[in-house]
Amino acid sequence: MTVPALVLRDVSYRYEDAETDALAGVDLSVAPGEWVGVVGPTNAGKSTLCLAAMGLAPHFFGGRLRGTVTVLGRDSLRVPVPERSADVGLLFQNPFTQLSGARERVDEEIGFGPECHGVAPAEVDERVAEAMRLVGLEEQAGRHPLDLSGGQLQRLALAGLLAMRPRLLLLDEPTSQLDPAGTEAIFDVLAALHARGTTIVLVEHRLELLCEVCPRVVAMAGGRVVADGPPARVFNDEAVVAEVGAPVYTRLAHAAGLPAPWPVRLDDAVAAFRRSRA
Amino acid sequence: MARGLSLYAEGESPLHRAHPLTKGVLTLSAIALAFALPSIGWVAGLLAALLALAVVAGVLRRLLAVAVVVLLPITVLLLVVQGLVNPANRTVAIAIGPVALYEEGLAIAALSALRIACLVVATFLLSFTTRPADLAEALVQRGLSPRIGYVIQSALQIIPQTLEAAVRIQDAQRARGLETEGGLPRRARAYLPLLLPLVLSSLVATQERAMALEVRGFGRQVRRISRRVFRDSLAQRLLRWALALSVPAVVGLRLAGWR
Repeated sequence: MTVPALVLRDVSYRYEDAETDALAGVDLSVAPGEWVGVVGPTNAGKSTLCLAAMGLAPHFFGGRLRGTVTVLGRDSLRVPVPERSADVGLLFQNPFTQLSGARERVDEEIGFGPECHGVAPAEVDERVAEAMRLVGLEEQAGRHPLDLSGGQLQRLALAGLLAMRPRLLLLDEPTSQLDPAGTEAIFDVLAALHARGTTIVLVEHRLELLCEVCPRVVAMAGGRVVADGPPARVFNDEAVVAEVGAPVYTRLAHAAGLPAPWPVRLDDAVAAFRRSRA
Repeated sequence: MARGLSLYAEGESPLHRAHPLTKGVLTLSAIALAFALPSIGWVAGLLAALLALAVVAGVLRRLLAVAVVVLLPITVLLLVVQGLVNPANRTVAIAIGPVALYEEGLAIAALSALRIACLVVATFLLSFTTRPADLAEALVQRGLSPRIGYVIQSALQIIPQTLEAAVRIQDAQRARGLETEGGLPRRARAYLPLLLPLVLSSLVATQERAMALEVRGFGRQVRRISRRVFRDSLAQRLLRWALALSVPAVVGLRLAGWR
């Protein structure tokens, strides 16, 4: 039987000194190789979901976690974060703070994680070369990390995780500080990783982008999962849309009076508008 | 974006290629010897040796440019103060009207200035020929805690980045009308609004970086294997021992009465 990549069973989590739960009774299961998009308004619990999956909540933040978080078959509470990082990668919003701050070359920065894991030098070199190729940073190998652009810096942070060959990749709004070209470059890398079988959980507020790439969307609000399914189903539920919003194509089709189901992707929107004109 | 405090520049000299620990031991020994050797002649000889190494490393011009800036005011101050008011002053060397500089004070000032020059030159020599990351890594390979090694390496990059963040915050505040020009009190007041956002942003960045380090396996209890291999040799090992032993030897001789 295939072990799910991520399972949350009735998970509630409250940060230390907080008065409300950041996660409230979350049930979620992600199969290996899936690409799941997570959407929701501010304070929906999206980032906390990633932190709990990584084990940083509660290992790093303290607070109280109820229910069970199982990652690749192992209970989150029983595995220290540095050990878990061999299987699970978490990419944050700000690429700058994800640098080790202790390496002066791009290739050395990418090798920092595997070195911490005690990987043999020859294999570290191999992993670094592979990660650089995956994110397209081979030409920048000898540059100082801080000489890179924002988009390149985020690809470097991603490469640093990929060098550990994670089976599950958690991404918390990885493109929120990037320009369109940088965003596209990151999504191209993610598509390649997904094609190789990496499980991806992507928190993203740009719904149009998310709908183009994720076959499954989890909508969160107030620390709860309010919808879970294909984007076309999630964003055609008016109660869900009222809580988490909808892609611009969906809103446009709705506002134009097109009949449901409303499109969530550009191609579907074009087709729907063409049909309405015919 | 600020890259770090490192003064290292790529080079192919024997000093650049030497094991980082050899250069570290050389620097520490030179500094200790500068303060342990008894006379101007010996300390001047040590300084000459350090400058010869700078020539070998091809960094003499760059080293002199920074060393003179650091040393000139210190040397002038020492010569004037010691020459004028050292309690040992007896023999007038130079008299300009009622003001006299004395030989004894000038000699003491010269010795002190030479010692400080050795310290400065040895430190810059190390900085110009050794990457801080290499030195920290070499120390970790010899048993230094990886956490302490990380602190050494990261501090050199984080300090200038924090200063840069301070400039960015102050620019933003200036754009919103904060007066930062003018007299000293006004400029001092302008720093107060800077403190809170700088401290808060630094704390947030520190927390994020701590998380990011954990997420990359830092702190995992495994035997870490470094990819960096520093070339070492019997000659370098012997040199390190000789340099390290020279310091207690000189101190011993001084205690035995070497003047």
